[in-house]
Amino acid sequence: MPRLNPLPSRTRLRERRHARSRRLLASRAVAESLVSTAGLIGRPVRNPSGAEIGTVRDVVARWDGGEYPPVTGFVVRIGRRLAYVPAAQVERMGHREVSLRSSRLDLVDFKRREGEVLLVQDVIDHQLVDVDGVRVIRAADLYLANVGSMYRVVGVDVSVGTLLRRLGPTRWRARPTPERVIDWAAIQPFGRPGSPIRLREGNRALHRLRPSELADLLEELGRRERQELLAALEPETAADALEEMEAEELESLLRESDEEQAAALLAVMEPDEAVDALRDLQDDERDQLLAMMPAHKSAELRALLGYEERTAGGLMTSHLLIARRGDTVAGVRARLADDADHRGDLPGVIVVDDDGRLLDDISLFELLVADGDRTMDSLCGEPWPVTVTPDAGIDDVVERFVDERGASLVVVDEEERPVGRILADDLIDALAPQSRVQVRRRLA
Amino acid sequence: MRVRNRLSRLLVVIGPGLIAAAAGNDAGGIATYASAGAQFGYRTLFVMVLTTAALVIVQEMCARLGAYTGEGLVSLIREQFPLRIGAFAVMCLIVANIGIVVSEFAGIGAAFELFGVTRYISVPIAAIVIWAVIVFGSYRYAERVMLLLALVFVTYPIAMIFGHPDWAKVGAQSILPHLLGQKEFLFLVVALIGTTISPYMQLYQAAAVADRGVGPDDYAGERLDSITGSVLANFVSMSIIIATAAAIGGTGPLASAKDAAEALKPVLGPGAEALFAIGLLGASALAAAVVPLATAYGVAEAAGTERSVSRTFAEAPLFLGLFTGQVVVGAVVALAPGNLIDLLINTQVLNGLVAPVILSFVLMLANRRSVLGEAVNGPVLRVVSGAAVGVISLLALIVFVQSVLGLG
Repeated sequence: MPRLNPLPSRTRLRERRHARSRRLLASRAVAESLVSTAGLIGRPVRNPSGAEIGTVRDVVARWDGGEYPPVTGFVVRIGRRLAYVPAAQVERMGHREVSLRSSRLDLVDFKRREGEVLLVQDVIDHQLVDVDGVRVIRAADLYLANVGSMYRVVGVDVSVGTLLRRLGPTRWRARPTPERVIDWAAIQPFGRPGSPIRLREGNRALHRLRPSELADLLEELGRRERQELLAALEPETAADALEEMEAEELESLLRESDEEQAAALLAVMEPDEAVDALRDLQDDERDQLLAMMPAHKSAELRALLGYEERTAGGLMTSHLLIARRGDTVAGVRARLADDADHRGDLPGVIVVDDDGRLLDDISLFELLVADGDRTMDSLCGEPWPVTVTPDAGIDDVVERFVDERGASLVVVDEEERPVGRILADDLIDALAPQSRVQVRRRLA
Repeated sequence: MRVRNRLSRLLVVIGPGLIAAAAGNDAGGIATYASAGAQFGYRTLFVMVLTTAALVIVQEMCARLGAYTGEGLVSLIREQFPLRIGAFAVMCLIVANIGIVVSEFAGIGAAFELFGVTRYISVPIAAIVIWAVIVFGSYRYAERVMLLLALVFVTYPIAMIFGHPDWAKVGAQSILPHLLGQKEFLFLVVALIGTTISPYMQLYQAAAVADRGVGPDDYAGERLDSITGSVLANFVSMSIIIATAAAIGGTGPLASAKDAAEALKPVLGPGAEALFAIGLLGASALAAAVVPLATAYGVAEAAGTERSVSRTFAEAPLFLGLFTGQVVVGAVVALAPGNLIDLLINTQVLNGLVAPVILSFVLMLANRRSVLGEAVNGPVLRVVSGAAVGVISLLALIVFVQSVLGLG
């Protein structure tokens, strides 16, 4: 995969995050008008004459796809009853109380509408994704502010200090302590726990993340949250991220996904990565997933699965672009353009003779500088491609790479027919020492 | 997703399961079971049978929570309970787990003392080595070596048979209900409960199931695994009690690790002491690394902060601080003057006293339809598990009043 910008360092990420927070808290007015959601709970709700009619139980907000979700109402405990008070009836929301606009109040029960979440019950203490910081956080508190004519969720507090504030005496709770506030615009929230996963528009900033960053997030999220994040991604983006995940994490992600989704993701992944993932599953699970894929895809993956893991066949990708000797350069270029999805796996185009035997591997460079009218035949010549057979061991493969200094090797069967290609990066993955132990919940 | 023949599955599970159960014993467990055999002979066996039933119920609930929610216990507590109540549960869990870490370092000290090395040298060095291996080294490799050492304890069931226990007595004491009112007996019962149904086991069970991606569809197989695992673990525990009872039963409380090694003599002969020390070292060192790591991981996950050993202190202060803190406290307490076996058993009593708190949380979670949906505890299981937790709580309360407060 082409990398457009360098991977930001942790320090850089931290700076980015702080810049956002500074922007958020830039005006004193905003900092002072922030209302702590956790601090609001249990506070009195007063009518215009100042009489207490109940206490705040929860705050309702709507995930509407905008940057800052609006507060749509409150769940208020009145006597023994839980009633819903729409935001329109609220005159002012202070640190210590909520005052109503009129003394008339229709007592209606709270009914969740489309896209609505309860900030205390569903969001605070649950996982969120901080897209700027590329990390999974847990909301210690949510800050609300009056923006324009309505209250909106503007920031999320993740500091341990805020947790301690919430643990402390009730009167501490109202004071917002915005030490480590993350601008809500950088947050990917999740829906209501327990509700069926609904595909919601993901935070636009998610698209900026590279596959390896998404993979880190998927690894850290809880099961429900990662399924939801996965659903918010385009299938290609999701597949790219899955390719970057640790084998164990990917295995459990596939196992917990429903089979249709798992099969669809595997079908979009690069064949060699998909095969690595399938190898980790049990036979019956693997067969089930393969059966749900399109026939040509499952046939391709089954063929790859037939090779031993640490041999050329196990390392190679079977995605090749094969041209006949009579094809024109322009025609081959057009086919390459159609295959842009696999650009990472295509360092060259393979030319075969009429019997399907390998003639040459033409690099994209040669193809680029050649005249469009020429035939592929005329491009064949030195240097000849480096080949291995599918059963060659990994040591042989390494040796060939070292000898030839190429970016890839072509894998051919006994009849010299090309069956796959080993890319240098696949070899690096296979040779890299097991990454340092990922401390997971499961140990021993 | 997976349909399997139950019988063949059972056979496949038992072999490796027995090994895992034997190697899964740690210093606290071995000391407590051996002490039970030494002090009360076969008399604690009936308690162990009851404990097995309770363990099966509890572990099954934890596995179900892990499979149906995909989350660890600490995260569930953070999400499902008000922060203050959740924080109390997490504090209890940390206290119990620090108790276990202390016992592991005491086990390391006891193992080295069998080789004539004073614990004032072995324990600090072990603490530094364990810390460094986790933070800088390869945990996976170390894990395998330690597990291999701990395999010595697979010999306990064989030693039980070779030790020619009085089988009639074993049978009677296992089946006939009895409980001695004696203060020492109740103290040891709570230690047995603490080491068998330790809060750490629940933390581990839920997390292990969730981490493997086991979902509702695969749960039938997982439930069988958790039940056979619990039964096998207690089979090994009971074999330790029986083997020790046959060798040195009735000689009073276990005085040293040397006495405990007596039980393995029928199998291992004169090498029993050295092999026992090696097994104890492996089991203790493994758990001394794993317990603080898993605790730190669970708490950091629930707090929502960085949790990886490849981070620096500045990046993951809570995770690395908790891990380091537990290792340091564990090692320092294990150096306190006094009998190591007593210290080992006291830490298990601490676990037994804290267990009711964590068990109550497990029970509340498993009873909530909003957490488990259709897999929520049924009416029968509610009553049975409630009764089990009730009895455990009552015993813990009696021992707390009698032995900790010193009344009665």
